[in-house]
Amino acid sequence: MNAPERSEAFDERDPALPNPLPRPAGEFEALKKAWEAPRGLSFITAVNNTYVGLWYVGTAFLFFILAGILSLIMRVQLATPESDFVGHDLYNQLFTMHGTVMMFLFAVPAVEAASVYLLPNMQAARDLPFPRLSAYAFWAYFVGGLVFFCTIFFGLAPNGGWFMYPPLTGAKYSPADNADWWLLGIGFIEISAIAGAIEIIVGVMKTRAVGMSLDKMPVYSWAMLVFAAMIVIGFPAIILGTLLLEMERAFDWPFFIAERGGDPLLWQHLFWFFGHPEVYIIFLPATGMVSMIVPAMAQTPLVGYRLVVLALVATGFLSFGLWVHHMFATGLPKMSLSFFSAASTAVAVPSGIQVFAWIATIASGRMKLTTPSLFIIGFLFIFTLGGLTGVMVAMAPFDWQAHDSYFVVAHLHYVLIGGMVFPLFAAFYYWVPVASKYALSERVGRWVFGLMFVGVNVTFLPMHITGLIGMPRRVYTYPVGMGWDALNLVSTIGSFMIAAGVALFIVDFARRFRIARDENAGNVWNASTLEWLPNANYNTRSIPIVASRDPLWDQPKLSQDVQDGRYYLPGTATGGRETLVTSPFDARPQYILQVPGPGWQPLLAALFTAAFFLLLTVKMVLLSATCGVLAVFCVIWWLWETDPGPVRPPADIGGGIAVPVYATGSMNHSWWAMIVLMVVTGMVFTCLIFSYLFLWLVNPAAWPPQGTLLPEGFSPFVSCTLYVVGAALIAYASRTLRGEDRRSPRAVPVLIAAALLCVGGAAAMDLWAHWRTGLSPSAHAYGAAVYAIVSLQIFFVLTTLIMGLYTIARWLAGRLDSVRRTTFDNMMLFWFYTTGQGLVALAVVYGFPRLTGGV
Amino acid sequence: MSGRRTGQVLLMLAGLIAWAVQFTVIYGVTSTLCGREWADVTLLGVGIVHAVVALATLAALIVAALSFLGSWRIHGGLGETAAAPDRFISQAGILISGLSLVVILWQGIPAFILPACA
Ligand code: HEM
Ligand SMILES: [Cu+2]
Repeated sequence: MNAPERSEAFDERDPALPNPLPRPAGEFEALKKAWEAPRGLSFITAVNNTYVGLWYVGTAFLFFILAGILSLIMRVQLATPESDFVGHDLYNQLFTMHGTVMMFLFAVPAVEAASVYLLPNMQAARDLPFPRLSAYAFWAYFVGGLVFFCTIFFGLAPNGGWFMYPPLTGAKYSPADNADWWLLGIGFIEISAIAGAIEIIVGVMKTRAVGMSLDKMPVYSWAMLVFAAMIVIGFPAIILGTLLLEMERAFDWPFFIAERGGDPLLWQHLFWFFGHPEVYIIFLPATGMVSMIVPAMAQTPLVGYRLVVLALVATGFLSFGLWVHHMFATGLPKMSLSFFSAASTAVAVPSGIQVFAWIATIASGRMKLTTPSLFIIGFLFIFTLGGLTGVMVAMAPFDWQAHDSYFVVAHLHYVLIGGMVFPLFAAFYYWVPVASKYALSERVGRWVFGLMFVGVNVTFLPMHITGLIGMPRRVYTYPVGMGWDALNLVSTIGSFMIAAGVALFIVDFARRFRIARDENAGNVWNASTLEWLPNANYNTRSIPIVASRDPLWDQPKLSQDVQDGRYYLPGTATGGRETLVTSPFDARPQYILQVPGPGWQPLLAALFTAAFFLLLTVKMVLLSATCGVLAVFCVIWWLWETDPGPVRPPADIGGGIAVPVYATGSMNHSWWAMIVLMVVTGMVFTCLIFSYLFLWLVNPAAWPPQGTLLPEGFSPFVSCTLYVVGAALIAYASRTLRGEDRRSPRAVPVLIAAALLCVGGAAAMDLWAHWRTGLSPSAHAYGAAVYAIVSLQIFFVLTTLIMGLYTIARWLAGRLDSVRRTTFDNMMLFWFYTTGQGLVALAVVYGFPRLTGGV
Repeated sequence: MSGRRTGQVLLMLAGLIAWAVQFTVIYGVTSTLCGREWADVTLLGVGIVHAVVALATLAALIVAALSFLGSWRIHGGLGETAAAPDRFISQAGILISGLSLVVILWQGIPAFILPACA
């Protein structure tokens, strides 16, 4: 592929601009037409990031309000001692739903949603690389989330706390469906978060403005990159956890039941391996926003760009070494605890670095006290306080005192509200002019800030004391005379001040926010980054060359030239939607990505996926399975239109650069997505192996339990051989499918079919071998763990099967040849992954008990 | 993505990766040995738990130090005309491995203070 070799020093003066004036007639109209949003009812089939991003943010905010209302109900209940406003069962549901909705349906989606809207704008891409995937993620979340929330109206809401500890949430103590709503509902919404993360990683790495090399990327892009990587590493743990707990509840596989060799602590490990990073997953994007807003308000570049990037990356790593600090009270050896204590204090260092970078920026410029600035100052204040109490509870002995008291409630709200809600409001005030015709009111904004800031402190500051004088969290009421009355009343008053602030915000928003189609409010803050270029549905008219981190300040004519179409790709090369893919490090143009437009497929696929999970919760298995099959069909229908192939010869994008309109192999955007997906699946599998080893550790002399037969060595040998042969056939098929002459050899579908028989046989053989020994999945955790590994592998083999058949269908339809082969390549990657996982699974399941000899 | 770039990124992140490995090893080994009451074994007169923590810490420190020196040398060798991403990655490498050195050391300290499995 002919990527241009010159990289640096794009000359910003006119003679160097890639495209001359005047632009040919009809060029601009064609661009506008390609990006037109669907009208009428089919408006909801829009997939463009401008629309999906806004719906997504709106939905996340809706959940903030809903969960906020739940918290007000709780505060009313707690305002006076021995109140009977709500009973204890409803209170349990209230705090569980409030915590769950805030964390899973508001915080993570809100920051992800904001980036769906902002990232392409900031990087001057026309859209994200997989708009239909974002649409799918959004609709799945919208439908799944709303149905989940509605359970509170029927007394069906989960009531085991937002971290759902078994044995309380196991079948014995929570026989009703409430816990299943959590497990299936939230487990499913995690999948949507992962889809978004994949989109973000590929978007940041591959679709940037020309010349926006790593060192010139906006800090926000860095933050979102680390955010997405953390989701990819962290969320698989909770997905696996929910899966295991659901299997325990549905089929009585005793992963967490101590009498049968399980261990409730396993859940705590899986939950917090996700749960602590979760806090940073929420926090990092917020800091990314702050790092964009502060320079604009102070009108000076961010101080210490490299240090801030270092802080983001280091936080991403270190936050995975903290999870056991939520388990200080579980009686683990002291030295193990200290490892986590050490990491918990170490992670404060990068956060400190960021805070100093912002303060230095503020000090080196002249900060205007606008509403975004106020929210940022509020953030610094509240978050720092939360950080201080955080360092306190990171000390195991202090934590033993404060554990499960209102001190912890105070701490976590200071961190979450300070670290995420305030930056988010700053971001609303700051970025609304990009999306809307009018900015929000600065005058009202001050009141919103004032009410929220005072309200938060009035609510949560007293809780530190309430906790230290003994009030436990999660109690629905308390007796008179404990000395807790006045403090609780003050907290309740404070919470209504917050509510008043939020209500005022909504009123102002309703009055002022009008979606801008062509004319937005403009660069009202005189900010320096590309989202402030004139934009519309297609984003920017042409794709700029940037030469610094603050292009709008350093290239004064940039807006005009971009708008005139003097930069790259001022029209459309294929007549459809497209965006420019650039190389991940140096951001040189690589190829033109043909972006899919509106369609019903992602919407329907999301509806059916949601129905699949939700119906499973109420045990309507048959209907649920039907929806599952329909969902798979919608996905296939959606994929069928992708992988368009080189529909035309390389196109001139300006400046004498011609780029192809199709690419395969490691340059292709979906190849990247596939690699990230494999990291996700690899993490799910790793967590499962961890669970297996953990259960081994807690079962001395019972691994396998007395009297268990191990299958003889013959069957794993056969399975192993079959896996390897299958993979070899696929590799061979890939070799036959080569050449510039667009061949589609007959051998390809035959080889795929043969390979499918091999993997199918391997998995079946494996399952049969265990079944034959009479191993029961419900007698002991050993059997449960073995069958869990076997089942996960079968799931992957079935997915491979669908992908293989799909690839054969593409071949039959003439949509697969030696040039247009992305579908094949992606299938091949997945195939190799399944093979590798299968081999490791065999090694663990057959090898480990023999190796340890049942010790 | 070219092989050179992949190598650069690995070098840049080597310090933190070393920390991650150190963390996994010291936590995994302590839990396993203490969980199974195998912690009484000694290695050259030092309890096995302490020995493992010390060795893992040392190994991680060496990796982080090498990555620090490597990034430092690359950065020093960049001429005036070097591409901005190269400059950026090597500087980030210096900063990241520098921080990692401190974190790794800090991470190993509990072993010098606390008994193995109490
Ligand atoms: C807006 C004002 C807010 C108020 C007045 C509020 C109030 C409360 C109250 C009263 C509880 C229950 C305490 C108990 O009984 O133990 C609680 C728990 C919790 N809140 Fe909030 N909250 C607010 C915002 C948030 C936000 C923004 C988040 C997260 C982003 C959040 C996350 C949580 C979590 C995770 C819990 C723990 C739930 C559990 O114990 O399972 N809250 N909050
Ligand atoms: Cu934590």
